[in-house]
Amino acid sequence: MTSSARELGGREHSGAPARRAGPPPHPPRRRRRRLSFDRHALPWLLLTPLAAVIIGVVGYPIVRTVWFSLHSGRYLKLGAWVGLDNFKALFSDEYFIAALIRTTVFAAVCVAATMLVSLGIALVLDAAPRAAKVLTVIVLLPWAMPRVASGIIWKWMFNDQYGVVNWALSSIGLKGFNGFAWFNNGFTSLVAITAAVVWHSVPFIAISMIAGLRSTRTEVLEAAKVDGASFTQSLIHVRLPMIRPLLFVLGIMSTIFAYQSFDHFLVMTSPPGGPSHSTEVLSLLTWLQAFAVLDAGQAAAMAIVTFVLLAIITAVYIRFNREEDQ
Amino acid sequence: VSTRRLGRRSPAASAVLYVIIGGIVLVSLFPFFWMLVTSIKPDTAIFTRTPQFFPAHAIVSRYGDLLSGPIPRQFLNSLIVAGATTVLTGVIALMAGYALARYKVPMRRYLLVVILSMQMLPQTILVIPLFVLLRNAHLLNTFQGLVISHLALTVGMSTYVMRSFYLDIPEELEESAMVDGCGRMTAVRRIIFPLVWPGLAASSIYAFITSWNELMFSATYMQQPAKETLPVALQQYFSSY
Repeated sequence: MTSSARELGGREHSGAPARRAGPPPHPPRRRRRRLSFDRHALPWLLLTPLAAVIIGVVGYPIVRTVWFSLHSGRYLKLGAWVGLDNFKALFSDEYFIAALIRTTVFAAVCVAATMLVSLGIALVLDAAPRAAKVLTVIVLLPWAMPRVASGIIWKWMFNDQYGVVNWALSSIGLKGFNGFAWFNNGFTSLVAITAAVVWHSVPFIAISMIAGLRSTRTEVLEAAKVDGASFTQSLIHVRLPMIRPLLFVLGIMSTIFAYQSFDHFLVMTSPPGGPSHSTEVLSLLTWLQAFAVLDAGQAAAMAIVTFVLLAIITAVYIRFNREEDQ
Repeated sequence: VSTRRLGRRSPAASAVLYVIIGGIVLVSLFPFFWMLVTSIKPDTAIFTRTPQFFPAHAIVSRYGDLLSGPIPRQFLNSLIVAGATTVLTGVIALMAGYALARYKVPMRRYLLVVILSMQMLPQTILVIPLFVLLRNAHLLNTFQGLVISHLALTVGMSTYVMRSFYLDIPEELEESAMVDGCGRMTAVRRIIFPLVWPGLAASSIYAFITSWNELMFSATYMQQPAKETLPVALQQYFSSY
């Protein structure tokens, strides 16, 4: 007796009292066929659309990108087989190497800033429970602004002549910022973009942290207080260790999103990635290589490199997530 | 409890706390305020070295200009794309989430890993082959084409969310309905769907926002001004001035 047949029998057995109560709703054979359909065909039927999307719009394209990366791809058409030449060319291309390093540093700074600011906000909201409800809504608002719109408003706020940032900095005495042109060089452009990206990514992380911090209000924390631990001591030695898994997951998530930043860069830099390639990050460079330079082979190779880097980070994330589940 | 906690804090600590809260509120809200104020200021009040936070008089004519330009069309485009993406994602997630929550399908573990990591996928690895696919299928500059590409971004997360909502509903509910003689589909339709609609709402909102804000695919696959979605139109308008 196969396991499914046994389950089938069990199901009919448990159905017995209902049948005794009145006439069976359907003749037994039809009922058995329907149960068999429910058990064996239905799950596959339900999964078909998802499978179609995963295979058609995600799986197949990834394979195609790998295939593209091994060919020359002028004008977005599959050209001659070139083996690993695209990758070799990439790693001897100073602009790509620079973009790779820049993206990594940018992501690291974004994540560090996002996590610290979010933790600060979460602690404040945790310390002021009366205001927490209203504050939560206010803090969450930037998340609701489309990325393109937030890029535009932040670029305007960092405007050299009429921007409020320069006005604020020079009115607190930093006269050097009077008319300071943030977008004239790579480093200060990146500072402005980081501000915009962090402003946009903090809400989600902060709100997730608040929930975590609330869960640490336990006897352990009270015991630490009774033992005379200061606010900082109990934060570092009791509360943060308690939410370490959450902090880790949030850190990984924001790393992955920062690594993929595209919209803010396209909106806030002109020409995209400028001035003179100094703000090119991987996603922007890949997109420009494909749809401005029309070199799909090189672009595919860049996408593969990004993919591999993110896959490593994602693997860590999934592994961790699964351990949390168990 | 809250009053007692606040009462125990020293006045100096409370003051610091309120200053910090003020800072958080200011930084969170200022860009919204500044966007709105700039949009209703006359030009002469916009281009000033000292920002005018509260303009002497407001104009709303720019909003009238917007309505007579291409923006309503592009708004509609965004609405069509995000709406269709949301509906399709909802249907797919409603179906697949149920199967993944209730059946021990082979390789379920791996399928879950796949849908969880779809969210982490760099868009750049999909953008080129999807362009070629859509070009070959003559779906560039069509809503169908863009919606198909957006499904790649929404389906994984939405299915995962739906599944967790199904898991929260005890399986005995539909089992007892089935014992009483209705098929699984009827049991699900009558008893389970009414209970999971918050999950459907959550995953639909996620899908709508993702599609509504999406820029890379939209900018690549919608090149005719009449077909542009709002983020693309906004980006183009901003970079051309």
